[in-house]
Amino acid sequence: MLLTLATRNIWRNKRRTLLTLSAMVVSSSLLMLSLGIFSGMLMDILASATEQYHGHVVVSRSGYQDERDMFLNIADEPQLLARLAASPGVVGASPRLRAFGLLSRGNNTYPAEILGIEPGRERQVTHLDHKLIAGSYLPDDAGRQVVIGRGLAEKLGATPGDEVVFVTQAADGSIGNDLLTVSGIFETGDAGHDNALVMAELAWLQEVMVLPGRLHEVALSVADPRLADAAAADLAARLPADFEVLDWGRLLPEMREVIASYDVSRMILVVILYSATGLGILNTFFMSVLERTREFGILMAMGMKPWKLRAMVLLETLVMGLLSLAAGITLGLLLTWYMQAVGIDLSGYLTPVTYAGGTILPRLSAVFEAKNIWVPALILLATCLLAGYLPARRAARLRPVEAIREN
Amino acid sequence: MPIRHSLFALMLLLLLPGTALSLDLAELVREVEVQYTGRSSFALVSMEVRTENWERRMEMESWSYGRDYFLTRITEPAKEKGVTTLKAEKEVWNYLPKVDRVIKVPASMMGGFWMGSHITNDDLVKGSQVDKDYTFGLLEETDQSWLIECLPRPEAAVVWGKIHYRIAKAGRIPMQVEYFDEAMEKVREILFEDVQSVQGRAIPLRMVVQPLDKPAERTVMQYRDIEFDIAIGQEFFSLRNLKKRP
Amino acid sequence: MNYLSLAWKNLWRNRRRTLITLAAMSLSLMLVQAFHNLSAGVYRQMVNSGVRAGSGHIAVYRGDYVRSRDEKLSFAEAGLAGRLAAIPEVEGVLPRVYLPGLAQSSRESRGILLTGVDPAAELSVNPFLKQLAAEDMLPSTEGREAILGARLVKELKIARGNKFVVTVQKRGGELQSELLRVHGVVKTGIKEIDGGLVMVGRERAAAMGGIPGQVHEIAVILDDPEADRRVFPRVEALIADQPELRALPWEEAMLNLANAIKLDYASQKFIFVIILLIVTIGVVNTLLMSVMERMREFGVILAIGASPLRLAGMIMAEATLLGVLSMIFGTLLGSLATWYLVRYGIDLRALISENLEYGGVVFDPILRAIWDVPWMLRIAWYVAGLCLAASLYPALKAARLAPVEAMRHV
Repeated sequence: MLLTLATRNIWRNKRRTLLTLSAMVVSSSLLMLSLGIFSGMLMDILASATEQYHGHVVVSRSGYQDERDMFLNIADEPQLLARLAASPGVVGASPRLRAFGLLSRGNNTYPAEILGIEPGRERQVTHLDHKLIAGSYLPDDAGRQVVIGRGLAEKLGATPGDEVVFVTQAADGSIGNDLLTVSGIFETGDAGHDNALVMAELAWLQEVMVLPGRLHEVALSVADPRLADAAAADLAARLPADFEVLDWGRLLPEMREVIASYDVSRMILVVILYSATGLGILNTFFMSVLERTREFGILMAMGMKPWKLRAMVLLETLVMGLLSLAAGITLGLLLTWYMQAVGIDLSGYLTPVTYAGGTILPRLSAVFEAKNIWVPALILLATCLLAGYLPARRAARLRPVEAIREN
Repeated sequence: MPIRHSLFALMLLLLLPGTALSLDLAELVREVEVQYTGRSSFALVSMEVRTENWERRMEMESWSYGRDYFLTRITEPAKEKGVTTLKAEKEVWNYLPKVDRVIKVPASMMGGFWMGSHITNDDLVKGSQVDKDYTFGLLEETDQSWLIECLPRPEAAVVWGKIHYRIAKAGRIPMQVEYFDEAMEKVREILFEDVQSVQGRAIPLRMVVQPLDKPAERTVMQYRDIEFDIAIGQEFFSLRNLKKRP
Repeated sequence: MNYLSLAWKNLWRNRRRTLITLAAMSLSLMLVQAFHNLSAGVYRQMVNSGVRAGSGHIAVYRGDYVRSRDEKLSFAEAGLAGRLAAIPEVEGVLPRVYLPGLAQSSRESRGILLTGVDPAAELSVNPFLKQLAAEDMLPSTEGREAILGARLVKELKIARGNKFVVTVQKRGGELQSELLRVHGVVKTGIKEIDGGLVMVGRERAAAMGGIPGQVHEIAVILDDPEADRRVFPRVEALIADQPELRALPWEEAMLNLANAIKLDYASQKFIFVIILLIVTIGVVNTLLMSVMERMREFGVILAIGASPLRLAGMIMAEATLLGVLSMIFGTLLGSLATWYLVRYGIDLRALISENLEYGGVVFDPILRAIWDVPWMLRIAWYVAGLCLAASLYPALKAARLAPVEAMRHV
């Protein structure tokens, strides 16, 4: 009975209802879009930190990541790789061997880090292949080809097709050295990588380093990088004790701090956004109920009980809230999807930003996250119920005569 | 007077403090040095390295001229045959036959170990500086030997706190060198063994380098043949010669 | 007929609605102002700490040293630092030498960046040295004392007072080794600094590099960062006789930091736009409602001969009043919030560790706002303007009313 009354009331004053609804629809969808954009930025930061070099989770011998001691290696067993790749949440696994040595061309010699990879598998984990500024990425049978960072290429005066020499101390104490051909040059924006990183084929590096069948790490990508710590804990429990499984947060503690500080400023912004949206909705709903005080007076004069009045208004607000939220969520999803697909490119105005081992691309884009929809939806619904309830309670407390007289 | 030595002597020199200030000790050390020094030398050396991670044995041929020049070429194992190191004054180059390139060791890599041994590239370079860097004192004298304490001059660029150098009285040949850190804790030790007479001089033909924090590790250099005063000059130690077989 | 006094009366006819709208607008304005001021404060602090550790507000380099970091690109200081320091508004001048090299102890060796500085100037300016006791600072420009990063000291297995040897490449290519002593240890939270910093006096470093009297960078720190536009031409004038030298503002010398700030601010601006949009919708809503409510009244006004234009004008006057009022209240509240944030700030120490790095800069865990009054006023005017813009549609609606129909309206 109340419900029919409430719906009838809603449709009685179409204009007012539509106004209230539109305010709610627009502000809730904008709020959802903003939250989506924040998630997008966070994902960009995260992706930059992990998908350029580290991966989301790295499996290695205990202590290797801290000491980078070449003898802390693991066996390159297909079963291990298959097991890691098949773990829940893991979407890519890339076996790697790392060496530190010298890269030389002509009279120029510079220290370099050479990362041996299987190009096909590495592409499942990192996206250095998207960062090339010259030449091409390693083919699957790379042989003696390498891709090198831009700074290193410039210091060596090397361009794609040029030969460079790599020298290092191999695992048997001998001098490992070989002639390599630069196949491509990448630029990540991270000075450390651009000035020293070299990507080469795993099998070749194993041979030069005299570490046949050995790996230093297996880098993994997981479906949801925000859950990398859980994936890492899960893997660690199922691997031998002398293995170490580190998620990006532990590989890059500075990164975690950057994200923590980013979260703080995001929290402040989110509070501001919620406040602004909440105020707007509170305002609209409050007013739309408030201006009906006179009508409520008449209803009470006709014998409606105060609790019934309050319940009716609440119901009305609830119906309107739900209706507008349905529309708001639809619009919010559409906007988020648009920002996800298109985004705002700032590269004309900014170059990539690096910090703590990652690079953020100069763009604004959104990412869909369920909690960016339901949390604001619930909060806004509560806000409009409050906004409806307060004036209804007030009206219900008035004597009918007073209420009717009120303008 | 030009001081001459072989690779072996060079290794000694970098370990062994050279000309002393204190008159007696200076004389003593100089005499010991002279045992090793021809104006120039040629030697066949084998080097055995044992570390916790690898064991290897190399054969090499080595030329030296004075303190500042030496050139050594690996003859075995086959994999590294022809790898050549040239040290000229304070610079070190490596020639890599596999890629036919000469690479200069940059400052930031001087801490790297030479040929996988317990001798760093930096040891090679610093070897010729020792007599500038230390003062000497006689710590102990027995019937067989002297023990000389070498203290770095206050501003000398050496990482050691002190070096102890034991010299046998008979033949005035080195027996043992010990390296201490600044807390005077022993860090590294070198033993000289297999004393033989070569061209009328008694010299130890084997040197054992032992890092004390890793007791299982060591590098042993053994002279198989040594010849002093050969007919080469400074021009022999050139980048051009580094690449071609002399 | 005075529009404004009529509008004023009309606004207060529905006091409650007006107050709610005012509150929503003022609070939004306050939030935007306060957050902008807080960000400006954080950016200022980041820039401040960044330029002090890095290139200064204005930096002098030879050629493209800032990008290539080619240590051959050094230049003769020749009193330039002194001449730069003589420019009014310059707080400090930091001549620096940078040489990559090797540090060795009796146990270990590590690659390092030997950094030669002017100790007195550096101590008062460089935030990396903030935690360093005055007596731990380098006593001279040519001594053997060095300040090392904490991780480097640990890896070399040495401690304060111990010696170590640094080897660098001299200009001619020859290697030069020198004995140095650990005099002070700094922990900055930045990996490259903690693991690779060896700071010595400028003359010591230059002598080791075989470039006596030369530097790689002269960083100029200003009293007031806003003064860079005035000081920049004077710096350029001082180096005009040396065509190889270039003066660079920090935004170019520290591109990374500048971009980190710009990117952060871009996302903020986006949020501000959204907040203002939401505010505008609220205003449109309020005004529309008030127009609807008064349809009948408007019908009467029109019927007695008022022009529709006048009716529209009245509604716009109401909106303007509303806008100006919220501009005033909002700015008052914004100022109050800013005052709090300037005075007390937001303390992040409970949330994150003390060393925070962003864009290569360590920053303070207490976020503090600064007063950006011109911006506050500008955004306040925007809000008033938006209010007026928001009234256009309701005004148009009122002006289009047919009197008879309007009177019939409930």
